[in-house]
Amino acid sequence: MKYKDYYKILGVERTANEEQIKKAYRKLARKYHPDVSKEKDAEEKFKEVSEAYEVLKDAEKRKAYDTMGYYQPGQDFRPPPDWEQQFHAGGGGAGFEDLGDIDLFDLLSGLGRGGFRAGGGPGRAGGGLRMRGQDYEVTAHLSVEDAARGTELEIPLPVTEMTEDGQLRRTTRTVKVRIPKGATDGQRLRVPGKGGPGHGGAPDGDLYVNIQLRPHDLFRVSGHDLYLEVPVAPWEAALGADVQVPTLDGRVSVKVPPGSRAGQKLRVRGKGLPRPGGGEGDLYAVLQVVTPSVLSEREKQLYRDLQQASTFNPRAHFG
Amino acid sequence: MSSGFYDQALFTEHLEVALEELAQASGLSAHEIVELVEYGVFEPVSGTSAGASGWRFSARAIVMGRRASRLKADFDLSLSALSLVMTYLQRIEEMEAELARLRAQLLR
Repeated sequence: MKYKDYYKILGVERTANEEQIKKAYRKLARKYHPDVSKEKDAEEKFKEVSEAYEVLKDAEKRKAYDTMGYYQPGQDFRPPPDWEQQFHAGGGGAGFEDLGDIDLFDLLSGLGRGGFRAGGGPGRAGGGLRMRGQDYEVTAHLSVEDAARGTELEIPLPVTEMTEDGQLRRTTRTVKVRIPKGATDGQRLRVPGKGGPGHGGAPDGDLYVNIQLRPHDLFRVSGHDLYLEVPVAPWEAALGADVQVPTLDGRVSVKVPPGSRAGQKLRVRGKGLPRPGGGEGDLYAVLQVVTPSVLSEREKQLYRDLQQASTFNPRAHFG
Repeated sequence: MSSGFYDQALFTEHLEVALEELAQASGLSAHEIVELVEYGVFEPVSGTSAGASGWRFSARAIVMGRRASRLKADFDLSLSALSLVMTYLQRIEEMEAELARLRAQLLR
């Protein structure tokens, strides 16, 4: 079993009182809670912090933890020989020689429920023998193309399972999920019964998939609409042009009207992402007027001629 | 749904859930949800002419409900404090969505 230093995780002394532990937890929860935090790795950090708090706020679990001794974080260790009897952990047959794969938190969270074998995995649910399985939330990062077409994902879930000989073991379960076409950024998918296993006949938990789209080289996504930057030459903007632009399913021709300006949006109907209820969003071609960075002598001369011939004053409104 | 996959559902505005299902999926009690409806955190989309047991919510309320339930437990919040936090989080999300929408339209 690998040691975790719960005091260190919360940043408190081993002698800290309940109030100090609570305060340290709240401070870290404020910083790392995935629902409010923008910190990198917030979810992972918060998991550690709440696990540490779960153990240290509970007098019995804290005592059991303290009695295990002190080791380096991550160090393989084994509780003292009388620990199991003292805290009624384990249960028939599950001696410490079998504890190699057990997670420290799984062991401690099972205390007081007739041994850790009857307890659940790491979860927010309370004690008791009949316990609904843990819900899982995962984020799936999809390409814009996959979101448009729909796709299938294999999601690995770290679950705590009971082995045939009645031990809890952390393992990875792979759940196949079909993402229907029309899913877009920020949408959630629920897969009932595919979370953690329930105990004592209680139902299994659910799996929630949070869909996020990876940035695309060309298209920017807004709801079900796509935006595409389309560079045009000054003469194309001035005179109008038919330009070929890419979409998710091949190129289409877009008519740039004469006298177009930078930032102007041209709608290509139905070329956005499909909507789950039917229909599609639109593709917007956003015009960007670009000038060549290197001009030939002839081009320069033509610009000079244009300058001479034109009465256009782009700054007339400055007065 | 074809074999090998599960009865999964994408949360869209078209999908509705009953009060009881929202409670089960979020971990909040029905009583707490009713109070949060009073505070304006949740809004039933239909069934409002009947009592609370007939209320129907957008499936998106599940996402909010799960978040509310986590925040309540992890920060030990009262329902009125929770409603304040949820209101601000929703407002931030709306602004972030608007920002993302505007950014999508901007020239790089």
